[in-house]
Amino acid sequence: MDEKTLRNIIEEVMKEFGAGSGGGTATAVMTAPSVSSASGTLKISEAAPAERGTNPREVVIALAPGFGGRMTSTITGVDHGEVLREVCAGIEEQGLTYRFIRVFRTADVGFIAHEAAKLSGSGIGIGIQSRGTTVIHQKDLPPLSNLELFSQAPLIDLETFRAIGENAAKYAKSESPSPVPVRNDQMARPRYQAIAALWHIKETQLCDPNKKTATLRVEYR
Amino acid sequence: MKSKRFEALDARPVNKDGFVTEWPEVGLIAMNGPNDPQPSIRIQNGKVVELDGKSRDEFDMIDTFIADYGIKLDNAEAVNAMDSLELARKLVDINVPRAEVVKLTTAMTPAKICEVIGKMTVLEMMMSVTKMRARKSPANQAHVTNLKDNPVQIAADAAEASLRGFAELETTVGIARYAPFNAIALMVGAQVGRPGILTQCAVEEATELNLGMRGFTAYAETVSVYGTEPVFMDGDDTPWSKAFLASCYASRGLKMRFTSGTGSEVQMGYAEGKSMLYLEARCLYITKAAGSQGIQNGSVSCVGVPAAVPGGIRAILAENLIATALDLECASSNDQTFTHSDLRRVARSLMQFVPGTDFICSGYSATPNYDNMFAGSNWDADDYDDWIIIQRDLKVDGGLVPVLEEDVTRVRNKAAKVIQAVFRELGLTEISDEEVEAATYARGSQDMPNRNVVEDIKAAEDLLKRGLTGVDIVKALAKSGFEDVATSVYGMLRQRVAGDYLHTSAILTDKFEVISAVNQPNDYNGPQTGYQISDEKWEQLKTIRQAISPENV
Repeated sequence: MDEKTLRNIIEEVMKEFGAGSGGGTATAVMTAPSVSSASGTLKISEAAPAERGTNPREVVIALAPGFGGRMTSTITGVDHGEVLREVCAGIEEQGLTYRFIRVFRTADVGFIAHEAAKLSGSGIGIGIQSRGTTVIHQKDLPPLSNLELFSQAPLIDLETFRAIGENAAKYAKSESPSPVPVRNDQMARPRYQAIAALWHIKETQLCDPNKKTATLRVEYR
Repeated sequence: MKSKRFEALDARPVNKDGFVTEWPEVGLIAMNGPNDPQPSIRIQNGKVVELDGKSRDEFDMIDTFIADYGIKLDNAEAVNAMDSLELARKLVDINVPRAEVVKLTTAMTPAKICEVIGKMTVLEMMMSVTKMRARKSPANQAHVTNLKDNPVQIAADAAEASLRGFAELETTVGIARYAPFNAIALMVGAQVGRPGILTQCAVEEATELNLGMRGFTAYAETVSVYGTEPVFMDGDDTPWSKAFLASCYASRGLKMRFTSGTGSEVQMGYAEGKSMLYLEARCLYITKAAGSQGIQNGSVSCVGVPAAVPGGIRAILAENLIATALDLECASSNDQTFTHSDLRRVARSLMQFVPGTDFICSGYSATPNYDNMFAGSNWDADDYDDWIIIQRDLKVDGGLVPVLEEDVTRVRNKAAKVIQAVFRELGLTEISDEEVEAATYARGSQDMPNRNVVEDIKAAEDLLKRGLTGVDIVKALAKSGFEDVATSVYGMLRQRVAGDYLHTSAILTDKFEVISAVNQPNDYNGPQTGYQISDEKWEQLKTIRQAISPENV
């Protein structure tokens, strides 16, 4: 048996295992299938224009124009599907729900996150760029301020994404969580900045200033 | 088979850097881009009707702003018709005084000045910076931040940085809500190290203005401008909104400068196919047009982008030169990390270190780089002795002076005690004696005990709600027995009433006297003119603790 066959078998087993246990625990808090326990490949489709939520127990997650669509992984190669799984798992752990939107008019993560916060029933939103840069935002803050900013995309691993989800949910519950520890690597810029620019050029080429923010259906197949 | 020589080369630090090839169609080119406009200007009835190949009806908002406010029109058509090579020679020629060059440069269009500077080598540009720098004496600026936003460490690091010779200190935050603590700790610590040090806290613009108006900072720097319309609009801004913000600072007697730099537009994905230097030239004319006295430029946080393309470091020097040639104060970057190679980082800095600028670094990390919350500086606290010894090697005043360990620990200890007292008097969170001790001897935040972040943030938000200002800090200092520091902080608050430090390139002496381009203009016109290191200063610069004297042998 070669490695590929083995991997396929493991994935099949994991899929069944994930579907079984995930479905059971998630339905208690949500009507939609849980992202955190879903398996398969990320599949995002646009639904109706996004509206302001009324549920005070939701966190809205806003994706940049390319995330999980034209682009599929972060600047360090972390799969976008994995990123969303971890963020959602963090929110679920706090007993809250989430909703996805996509912002088209800008690729600026501050404004993307602020849009999420403004549409969120709790007033808390998360914005994520394709390269991985992430912001936790609150609706009554100025757009370029934030609750927490993770500016160095190459340093954000899956564990951090989960902690980001958790903290966003805590803010939504009006708690004052300890911010996710900020990581700092002064050598991330020399290695990644020009490549990050190429990344961002491609993401802004996907912007459409006239297109309204849309609700997203996030599935794994 | 693999070449052993290439194996060794591949393992060198420089090969960890990211390099990309030019891609002019999206603006990934340092200067002299194939899509940069040809210089041109036409004036009718005192109004610019054509600028750099565009007629007025084709202007975007940046063209309009520059055409209406950014160019001295009296002589503009004549200057722009002059041969660019002849103009480049005037910029370098020691026999053409600075004042005469400024008359020419401020009448040029952005495309024209790029064409002129594009004729020069880096050596000629350095010669020109020596002449065109606004203030006669060079100076330096430091970053004072840490990974934990620990205010005790900020105060101690600020005191040490001031003692070491920096004229300005800048902090920022890891967590935005810490901003008031960082600003206060920086200001108080700086005044312990040396009276008259200017301090700022780089945060979101409204918060930054608020901190300045309260008297927690003495100046602002991170008012960013951009060379294309979409990047401005991405930040919900226009040149007019930035000019308005500049006037807000001026109205409260606060020094401020704009920030821009090559690579920002291409990094944001909206370079419109123009070279990085051409777009930066537009930023500098916006800065001039808005009436800002100065600029922080030299790619700054985007340095990884120009540094990755051919001629990028030359373009960074070129943008500094344009800033000085437009008679702006220039804080010339040399801050953010751009390379793993010690050789590359020194070569990059010599471009500003040798000619001298208003602030050679903006800034130099006063902590080890792991604590630098601007994502790392090109120079950090672990490089202090290297910088001081390069000054001594070349007989260059790079803004720092040698210091002794006992003096450093003394001012660090005092700053930590002072901030402890201020926090106590103002009813903020507690600073323990253990923290004071740790900050006295710390290299960085790894040597500091953890604080209760949630309590700190609550107290920081509360102090804003309570409406505390710089005057409350002066009172707290006086009440806790630190009369000298109270007097210094009060001295800083008085500056904004007098307003003299709003002049171009202003810094303060330890007696609160302003040194600026007005009372100390750069008068360089060849050897033995302009800024000269005095005998007394040279004595100070050459006396390093490491040198063995004959008497000791």
